[in-house]
Amino acid sequence: MWQLFRTGKMWHRNGLRDRYDVVIIGGGVHGLATAYYLGQRGVTNVAVLEKSYIGAGASGRNTAIIRSNYRTPEGVAFYDESVKLYEGLSAELGYNVLFSQQGHLTLAHTDSAINGLRVRAEVNQLCGVQSRVIWRDEIQALVPALDCSDRPRYPVLAALYHAPGGIIRHDAVVWGYARGASRAGVDIHPFTEVTGIDVANGAVTGVRTTRGEIKTSIVLNATAGFCSTIAKMVGLRLPITTHPLQAFVTEPLEAFLDKVIVSSNLHVYVSQTDRGECVIGSEIDPYTSYSHRSTLPFLEATAHHTLELFPCLKHVRVLRQWAGICDMTPDYSPIMGGVPGLAGFYLDVGWGTYGFKAGPVSGRRMAELIATGRTPELIEPFSITRFSEGRLVGEKAAAAVSH
Amino acid sequence: MSRLPAHPAQRIDRSRPVSFTFAGRSYEGFAGDTVGSALYAAGVRVFSRSFKYHRPRGLLCCRGHCPNCLVNVDAVPNVRACVEPLRDGQRVTPQHAWPSLEHDALAVIDRLHFLFPVGFYYKTFIHPKRLWPTYERVLRACAGLGRITFPGEPAGDYERAHLFADIAVVGGGAAGMAAALEAATAGLGVVLVDDQPELGGRWRFRVTPAADAGHAGDDIVREMAAAVAADGRIRVLDEATAFGLYEDGLLGVLQRNRFVTLRVRQVIVATGALEYPMVFENNDLPGVMLGGAAQRLQGLYGVRPGQGAVVVTNDDRGVEVALELRAAGVVIAALADARAGADSAGIASLHDGGTTIMRGATALAARGSGRVTSVVLGGLDGRVVSEMKCDLVALATGFEPAAGLVGHAGGKLRVGDGGRLTPGALPARVLVAGEVMGLGELDAILASGRLAGAEATLALSGAGSRLSARVSQLRDELARRRSHVEHRPASIAPGRAAKRFVCLCEDVTEKDCQQAVAEGFDHIETLKRYTTVTMGPCQGKMCHRLSIDVCASLTGRTVEETGTTTSRPPAQPVPLGALAARFADPWKLTPMHHQHVEAGAELMDMGAWKRPLAYARPSDRQRAVDDECRAVHEAVGLIDVSTLGKLEIVGRDAAAFLDWLHPNRFSDLGAGRVRYRVMCDDAGIILDDGVVARLDADRFLLTTATGTIDAVEQWFTWWLAGGRRCAHVVNLTGALAAINVAGPRSRELLQGLGDVDVSASALPYLGARTGHMAGVPTTILRIGFVGELGFEIHFPADYGEYLWATLMAAGAPLGVRAFGVEAQRVLRLEKAHVIVAQDTDALTTPFGANLGALVKLDKPDFVGRDVLASVAGRPLTERLVGFELEGTTVPAEGAAVVDNGHAVGRVTSAKWSAWLGRVIGLAWVPVARAHDGATFDVRMNGTVAGARVALRPFYDPDGARLRS
Repeated sequence: MWQLFRTGKMWHRNGLRDRYDVVIIGGGVHGLATAYYLGQRGVTNVAVLEKSYIGAGASGRNTAIIRSNYRTPEGVAFYDESVKLYEGLSAELGYNVLFSQQGHLTLAHTDSAINGLRVRAEVNQLCGVQSRVIWRDEIQALVPALDCSDRPRYPVLAALYHAPGGIIRHDAVVWGYARGASRAGVDIHPFTEVTGIDVANGAVTGVRTTRGEIKTSIVLNATAGFCSTIAKMVGLRLPITTHPLQAFVTEPLEAFLDKVIVSSNLHVYVSQTDRGECVIGSEIDPYTSYSHRSTLPFLEATAHHTLELFPCLKHVRVLRQWAGICDMTPDYSPIMGGVPGLAGFYLDVGWGTYGFKAGPVSGRRMAELIATGRTPELIEPFSITRFSEGRLVGEKAAAAVSH
Repeated sequence: MSRLPAHPAQRIDRSRPVSFTFAGRSYEGFAGDTVGSALYAAGVRVFSRSFKYHRPRGLLCCRGHCPNCLVNVDAVPNVRACVEPLRDGQRVTPQHAWPSLEHDALAVIDRLHFLFPVGFYYKTFIHPKRLWPTYERVLRACAGLGRITFPGEPAGDYERAHLFADIAVVGGGAAGMAAALEAATAGLGVVLVDDQPELGGRWRFRVTPAADAGHAGDDIVREMAAAVAADGRIRVLDEATAFGLYEDGLLGVLQRNRFVTLRVRQVIVATGALEYPMVFENNDLPGVMLGGAAQRLQGLYGVRPGQGAVVVTNDDRGVEVALELRAAGVVIAALADARAGADSAGIASLHDGGTTIMRGATALAARGSGRVTSVVLGGLDGRVVSEMKCDLVALATGFEPAAGLVGHAGGKLRVGDGGRLTPGALPARVLVAGEVMGLGELDAILASGRLAGAEATLALSGAGSRLSARVSQLRDELARRRSHVEHRPASIAPGRAAKRFVCLCEDVTEKDCQQAVAEGFDHIETLKRYTTVTMGPCQGKMCHRLSIDVCASLTGRTVEETGTTTSRPPAQPVPLGALAARFADPWKLTPMHHQHVEAGAELMDMGAWKRPLAYARPSDRQRAVDDECRAVHEAVGLIDVSTLGKLEIVGRDAAAFLDWLHPNRFSDLGAGRVRYRVMCDDAGIILDDGVVARLDADRFLLTTATGTIDAVEQWFTWWLAGGRRCAHVVNLTGALAAINVAGPRSRELLQGLGDVDVSASALPYLGARTGHMAGVPTTILRIGFVGELGFEIHFPADYGEYLWATLMAAGAPLGVRAFGVEAQRVLRLEKAHVIVAQDTDALTTPFGANLGALVKLDKPDFVGRDVLASVAGRPLTERLVGFELEGTTVPAEGAAVVDNGHAVGRVTSAKWSAWLGRVIGLAWVPVARAHDGATFDVRMNGTVAGARVALRPFYDPDGARLRS
């Protein structure tokens, strides 16, 4: 209770030092979580550089869905660790991140979509993750507001029910990690943009920023949206295209929906926050762009699809729409780990539409990699070399809309 | 309560009373009233309870902006009562209050407010962890505003319209009308969007000429409105809100229940100013009202806003408000003007009328229980001077440009004269006029409107000496008329009390902001996210500027350094139903559809199409499928394949183009021949399959899967863009119907039915012929997806019904039977034919799917070649194989292939084949298991069954029947 009246700073403001052991580019959940777990390992001469305020990018724009019901065993194992870390995060950070573990339903409206759900259910169960295919009666009982009749153009036929899934207060996760990292001695530098990275003899030597130069031998690229431009600073071309992803919220309503509802067929997902707003989104825009501008066609199509699922929302108003930008890899899985031939440069990028849900596990495992120099088994499948070695981790079917 | 005497601006029709209920009690108003004005006239002062503290709230803005009057109207939640038209029989109910609006149990939170500081939920409910779900349920139950009802779709419908114009003028006030008239004079088409029923903006109900101008605004705007109405080039959208300005001049507009997309070349934003409250203790008490709200209540609805008022201001607007209130019979107890040297004829007149004039003063606190009964006035240093009794505190203290649309297009606000915010550099296609620029006087506003109209005309018509001269003349005029208004942003009164609200939607107080800043949330964006200020239903209309001022004063920065938050669409909330109005999500039906229905078919969705799954009721499906399969194996079957995507590729480079888009080759395909096609993306992943028939040297007919035609057509057109190839792509999917005739007796059925010789020698396997069949012009392809001798007949869709009936009749003696999708799936599985997207996924290359022979790496280049070449050089890790299963239980498609409890593959297809008498399927398995006779386990819902690999097709493995 005493915490209620505490007004201590969440994080310290230190000057930019001219040398750090580790420089993390990107002050979002990935960068800050990595900094936090580095701090836990005793690596504290660390700087997190953020070009805007912390959590300004994808960490503040995503729709905060947490789940682990992926399609490949590699993907499931990885995201499952993240869900487990999220479950204990409020206690670990001493900061309530409001993890609403309400359950997650992926709807199928065609028989081929049902097959896709079955594949995931089987893989999930074999990996020890709660996930099963359920049918209309059970769906209706779980989500009374959902239209499970034959009225919609594509009626709901089945769903993948993933009980551990849910939503979270994304900003709180960012702030909690920032506070934890700062307490461990990490420097967080908002409004510090990286303008160049120095490399000599195949190894990173420093980072140039709008606030001065830093000497370091380890740089982590933990950016989203602009990860390819950072990689370009060391002459690295990533197999990534960047697409906008849009979402909107409605006015707050009394609680009526306590499950995350996703429909890949209809390109829409809906959840209700603890504050009562519905958060609604769709798949990535089909074109590449760095634009944060919202579009009207997105709003029209997504509104229509939302009402196919929830006709009760017809007169409910859209309050605010926004866009984020997503780095898409060809197989819809991230790129994590070191880069052959470039000592000290690490990647934690290509997070597409699934970056936030992986924040804790990536932070923890990237910290392990940076601190020990050994790639943890869990993230090995996601190395950048998989593209040249033909070892893609196909998550498109499970990640395309089901953020 | 009686209404004020009639006034020209009034909307109400006193001859038409309207009855409605609020909180179960009956009320009366007049036609033309809003729910809010009728209730206020009837003495209702409390309209809602606030989000967090459940404090009573009353009318504040009367403009549909603030959250204070959100009510439920006829089961629709979160309706803004102050702008909701009153209708007979309306049922209005309060929301977010229990048991009643007057006595809300949760108002106890207001007394316990010290337990719920900003962000309290981040700091509590952490231990013990197991109780969090319970806490969360309580939090959820307390939050939210309106209640929705379900199941079922609520009544009420929306429409949609698409409009195009040269120029859109948003805002039908003085500036907007001036701009529209100027542009129309030059011959351009203008759409004028205004959110009120009558043009004129706030000038319409300006009862008293302002102290600083000799004319009454309403005369001038009335004349202009008449000119606008008379001008054929101006189309007025009244009661229409332009809620978003998107890329390329696209405006989203909501006009009553009609959603309008308005595409224009130039947008003139003349949306006026947003009036916002000021921060002082209990500034949210009912009775504290914006000056504009008081003006609207009496001007539009003849409702006296109060009996005794105190007006608080920092410029001449407040004096104007005070004079108008007095004219309506309100006793003005005091005018608190923040300007130390404030003086004008209006102030003198107020003074003479008995009003206490307090210069250099402001409101420090409102007092009262549930409504204002007095207000504490004092100096800007916080010194209390007096407490005045009143039932109305009218605030004319804060205006900021209503520049949301400018923000949507990427424009930013900057700090201008006297600390006002004004739009900075304007985005392309966007111009501003009137109060949105920070102008206050009518002459300057009119000049700015004319200038914007002329500038838009110049931008669209190209430079011309006459136009350029007009623009510079108007620029001069505006510069001349523009006066620098002294403005003191006294929007935050001195004081330290707990209940000084910055944000009414979310109950964020100044103290909350102070604590947030102390915790390090001192950037305007992090302050916003932590306190949720500007994130409620008003989207910052009431609190955007206040939050900036508060942040600036708490951090010691200037307003400029503090910055603003980004304005995002919609500028005014829009119902989902409006956005979704008339959204096209059609069913597609083949020409033979009704024949299938009459034959008792069970229908299924495939892409946008409805297709027969089997010709039987669902309960009889398995038996029907078995019979349909037998007919195809033993005699002849017909399947309607009109849903296949069909493209015609024509042109000199058509063959080369197809070679470019596919791993296999078509340039060496002879005329009159058909070849299987599989198409990959640039990562070598299979996108689609079908066939290509070369009809003559430069003409190909290409089929795609039912669901993929749109994507394939897009893919083709995308690769054609640039125009280096002479090839044209025509989508014939709807124009052609298609029937597949399959079975050993299919030749017998077709031979003699038309002028096409279908004998084995004349039309061999993979041949294509054109000719007539029963008099219908057709293209016949000899292909066999279902594994028997087969003919796919493509023909104009108009003949679909006729040819289907003709074939069914002609085939009757042969034992013909229509078969559906399910039988087709069984038949093709017997042949181990792959269905793309069912048996393949987003990682499948032709090599894994046993289609490697189709990849012609000797071709110079084609889409996906690099990747396929590299894949070809590596061993596969998994392969698609056929399998058989013991017993009759069919594993579900999607079942896992397991090895030692690990998923190592998956079943993509599995069916019971009555013809073969066993369960067959396709599955992805590790390469080590991909050999004939290998066994693997299939897991489904926890049970495991043993399967045996069969690499060759289960039926007619050598294709003898297919080629017969």
